[in-house]
Amino acid sequence: MVAMRQRGPWFDRLVDISAIPELREIVVRGDQIRLGACVTFARAAAHPQLRALTPMLAEACLSIGGPQIQNVGTVGGNVANAAACADTLPVLVALDAQAHIAGAAGERVLPVSELIIAPHHTALQQGELLTAFSFAAPPAGARSIFIKVGRRNAQAISRLSVAAIGHVDAAGLVDHVRLAVGAALPRPQRLTAVEALVHGQRPAPGLYALAGAQAVAVMLDITGRRWSTEYKEVALSQLAPYALARVLEDAPLPTRFDTP
Amino acid sequence: MAGRQFIGKPARRVDAADKVTGRTRYVADYQLPGMLYARCLRSEWPHAVMTHLDVSPALNVPGVAAVITSADFVDDGRFGFPVRDQYILAHERVRHVGEAIAAVAAETPEAAAAGLHAIRCELEPLPAVFESAQALAPDAPQIGPDRSDGRHPNFLHSEIVRLGDPDRALPQCPVVLDAAYSVAQQEHAYLETEGALAIPTPEGGVVVYASNQSPFINREILASVLGLPADRVRVIQAPVGGSFGGKDDLNYQASAQCAALALKSGRPVRMTFPREESMIASYKRDAMHMRVRLGALPNGDLQVCKFTGRLDSGAYASQSVFTSWRAAVHAMGAYRYEHCHVDIDCVYTNNGYAGAFRGFGNTEVCFAIEQAIDEMADALGQDPLAFRLRNCLRLGDETAFGQRLEESVGLAECLEAVRKASGWDEKRAAYARQPAGPIRRGLGVAAVFHGTSLGAEGADYAASTISVAEDYSIALTSGLTDYGTGAATVFTLIAAEELGTRPERIRLLRPDTNTSLESGPTVASRSTMLGGNAARLAAQNLRQMLDFAAASLLNCPQNRLLRVGEAYIGPSEEPATWERIVDHARSLGLILSAHGRWSAPHIHWDSQAGRGSAYIAYHFGAHVAEVTVDMRTGKTDVTGFWAAHDVGATIFPQGAMGQVYGGVAQGLGYALMEEARYEAGYLQATNFDTYLIPTAKDVPDITCILLEKPYSQGPFGAKNVAEPAMVPAAPAICNAIAHATGRRVRDLPANLERVLLGHALSHSDGGLACKIGLARPR
Amino acid sequence: MLIQFTLNGRPVSVEAPAHLTLLTVLRDYFHLTGAKEGCSIGECGTCAVLVDGELVNSCLMLAPKVAARTVLTIEGVSPADGSLSDLQEAFIAYGAVQCGFCTPGMVLAGEALLAQTLTPTREQIRTALAGNLCRCTGYQQIVDAIAAAGAQRKEVN
Repeated sequence: MVAMRQRGPWFDRLVDISAIPELREIVVRGDQIRLGACVTFARAAAHPQLRALTPMLAEACLSIGGPQIQNVGTVGGNVANAAACADTLPVLVALDAQAHIAGAAGERVLPVSELIIAPHHTALQQGELLTAFSFAAPPAGARSIFIKVGRRNAQAISRLSVAAIGHVDAAGLVDHVRLAVGAALPRPQRLTAVEALVHGQRPAPGLYALAGAQAVAVMLDITGRRWSTEYKEVALSQLAPYALARVLEDAPLPTRFDTP
Repeated sequence: MAGRQFIGKPARRVDAADKVTGRTRYVADYQLPGMLYARCLRSEWPHAVMTHLDVSPALNVPGVAAVITSADFVDDGRFGFPVRDQYILAHERVRHVGEAIAAVAAETPEAAAAGLHAIRCELEPLPAVFESAQALAPDAPQIGPDRSDGRHPNFLHSEIVRLGDPDRALPQCPVVLDAAYSVAQQEHAYLETEGALAIPTPEGGVVVYASNQSPFINREILASVLGLPADRVRVIQAPVGGSFGGKDDLNYQASAQCAALALKSGRPVRMTFPREESMIASYKRDAMHMRVRLGALPNGDLQVCKFTGRLDSGAYASQSVFTSWRAAVHAMGAYRYEHCHVDIDCVYTNNGYAGAFRGFGNTEVCFAIEQAIDEMADALGQDPLAFRLRNCLRLGDETAFGQRLEESVGLAECLEAVRKASGWDEKRAAYARQPAGPIRRGLGVAAVFHGTSLGAEGADYAASTISVAEDYSIALTSGLTDYGTGAATVFTLIAAEELGTRPERIRLLRPDTNTSLESGPTVASRSTMLGGNAARLAAQNLRQMLDFAAASLLNCPQNRLLRVGEAYIGPSEEPATWERIVDHARSLGLILSAHGRWSAPHIHWDSQAGRGSAYIAYHFGAHVAEVTVDMRTGKTDVTGFWAAHDVGATIFPQGAMGQVYGGVAQGLGYALMEEARYEAGYLQATNFDTYLIPTAKDVPDITCILLEKPYSQGPFGAKNVAEPAMVPAAPAICNAIAHATGRRVRDLPANLERVLLGHALSHSDGGLACKIGLARPR
Repeated sequence: MLIQFTLNGRPVSVEAPAHLTLLTVLRDYFHLTGAKEGCSIGECGTCAVLVDGELVNSCLMLAPKVAARTVLTIEGVSPADGSLSDLQEAFIAYGAVQCGFCTPGMVLAGEALLAQTLTPTREQIRTALAGNLCRCTGYQQIVDAIAAAGAQRKEVN
């Protein structure tokens, strides 16, 4: 809509897909979740099972824009726009979500991390339609968190975001960990090197600090130094450890109103 | 107040019912049969010479009715006061990105845009200067007009304050502070963009509805650039969707562009700005670089202040001459000194130009001096609030520029009020002991004094008319505009109080140069005192006639008359209704119509000596801000805010408190997120997605305390509130950040990077946002 | 294209190009100017209206999207007798109006919230207003007004 205002309509037809019931469905079967591409941020955030299973997705949805944007904007739109700062992307990537793409030849499935090629570029082909995302909820007992840093408390574009999932086994060792960052990389991806560092370890401040340094190293490796790097390396080196601490320790679950 | 019916009592804003129902029509809501839509071609270069301008191809575009350039105006459309350096449409040169070059009127906005595309305009870029520090270099390209005094043409103006000899005294001081501060340009961000509608009249004149602040100034400029006698130009004030100082120059240009197009086409012409055009073309709060040196005795007595400031006026002078004077007068803050020198210089650059914005120079210097005062308190090991109380101006004191404060000085009371309300002593102590951790809390204070109205800047007067209509309602006019401030309600309540009538009986007519009286500009928080006194005098004059009529009707001397509600009661104790009194007055041949004009007491400022009486009275106030700072990200949240203001007297409580809340919110934005940054002359934020102002989730609940130290010349003792409500908010917040983090942010805004890293990260879009914003089709 | 919907309680139909925004159609075709153009990119909320009871920015919604739906603008908020709604009265009583340009959107945002709960916390009210910018009021009296109207409705019910 914003682009159309600046350029005028550059197409001869526009199809409204928002009324297709299948695209608006949220289906939860056990720990398997299927989220239609046209589910709005407001509906995703208000869905009781989704909130219970993946609170960080609700957090991300409620961090976008204000009520008007949340009432109209969709998870599918957020992903397909493929902005580096899109708030649902690190969450979906941390969940290893699969994107379902319908085309004339049938459906294909692609990890969200592979759907995004570069900022504002996706692997969607002419004639293809993003229909849904599917993912498994984090293991029972796992915690998840979405942290966003913006310049103000609403209607703010992420300067940096972190999505993390973690679980500690009975022996006190990390047996499940996922970490993804937003607004820091040209395309969203799990920081698997950081995850590997943490997996199987006993949660401790020293470990988190190492993980933070590793996260920064991964970011620098991918992006090199940009104008904003000086800020992001400092912020990420502290937010990544914080996110890991929050999901790996017995702390109360964070909320949208919790200062990150 | 005892015995008062309406003053200081909760009231209904006179224009609120129309606003909550959406019935209020702003300029963009006006539609007339045959109306044309106008747009301007604007410069994409910060500095260029116009080598070729041919607008005739635009006339061949279907739907285009008229095109104008600077050649369509008298003296090429030059205007400006006190420096006549601006044009209605650029003449020969452009000096900033977004400067208007030509204007087209067409049947539709799309046809107007097509017309702009057809204009042949060749601009040859010139060397430009964007840093105020480099503006006066011998080889800097000339931006300002030629000067006869041999000074650099990019030098615009300077203002001084002089007391004693700081250069000699400062080295003698046992404790000295020397620090540099800077503030960025700020966008007014009124939610209604600029606009005007011009309608040609059969007599060859023009009626202009404008979203401006000062319709009489608009009329003066219109008559001058159109070459029309003043009686052929009528400016009617349209409802204004926010202004804050921002609806002067650019709206006068838009008015004149619409008027010229209307006269040329013979049809009504409306121009309204898309947000990008508004941000790119409009003037901003000036950026200022400041250096403050303070000297004090170990016991905490302030001795010396030496303040220098360099104000970037951008491409044109606009109000900077006056801004720099107000900045100079307030630069040392509301404190006593033995020695004080202030030097404010302003220069031209090729950035967008600077004009009036709430606080008008004081907002900028207050940021510097109120942090410096805090830093000095730190250096002395004193509590910053107690340090202010020790040194602040009190009744009977003399200001640094030599004005004895003889009445209405409530600063110490304001400081004590915020100290108590905020729990200052307990919280400061608690936060000083907080454990090291990622989230840190802090509490900061800042004080303000702010001269009311224009002061020695200019002739200070306002006028009102009042009359009783056939239906017994009362029509009140003012030459001053209510652009959202509540002034119309203030005038209504004052007139109602004087007349003893219900406020609902009074209709405040919209300012109109044909029906209201010239009252100077609606600026400088002068409405309540100047406009209020004028309304009060007008109502008193009308009241005399009504009292005379009542005495005649009730057959008693005037001093035997009593009032019960609107009715008069004489010795017979039989009430005579308002209508009966009015009828009787008319039967006596009285014309129930009166004027009121109030001029401020004369004061004198010696600009050569940098001394004098600057303003007739001063507003005083103090803010305390409480913040949390996330040490991992630099994110600052303002979690509490206490604002105490000595307003003299409160006329319209919800209105006065609304000014305080809104002022604090603007100051919060200024402190933490707002930055109209120019890179090589190109504004980097052109809409609300990149120019961020506080949302409802960024502003905390604010405790507002209105203190009343009546001013003898103010209406019912009232002074002012709108501007000073904003001024100390940003330094209070930055002082709180310093308290929380131990780090001081001396450059605004205190955004994520400055708080986390100690400096900003600069990034330029290469002019892309401006180019897109100026090129968009509709 | 022909767009049929319910506007402020009345069934309406309009023939308009499909690429126009709801804001343009409301202002230029229905001459309902209570919804304002403040930014045209969905950041300021001066164009906010309720579509099927949900707060949306009409500048970011193509008009055909409201086909067969209900749209409420500020012009449809007041009772039919021309009086003011309790929320509008509260805006006046609490001084929540200054320049008035954001006010229609703020009233509608308040209505959308009060349809969910009559006892919102101040934080909930601020969240509900987060998509509506105001440059004059600092939001405080708007929050006061919405809280008071909710309490009053709660009492009446």
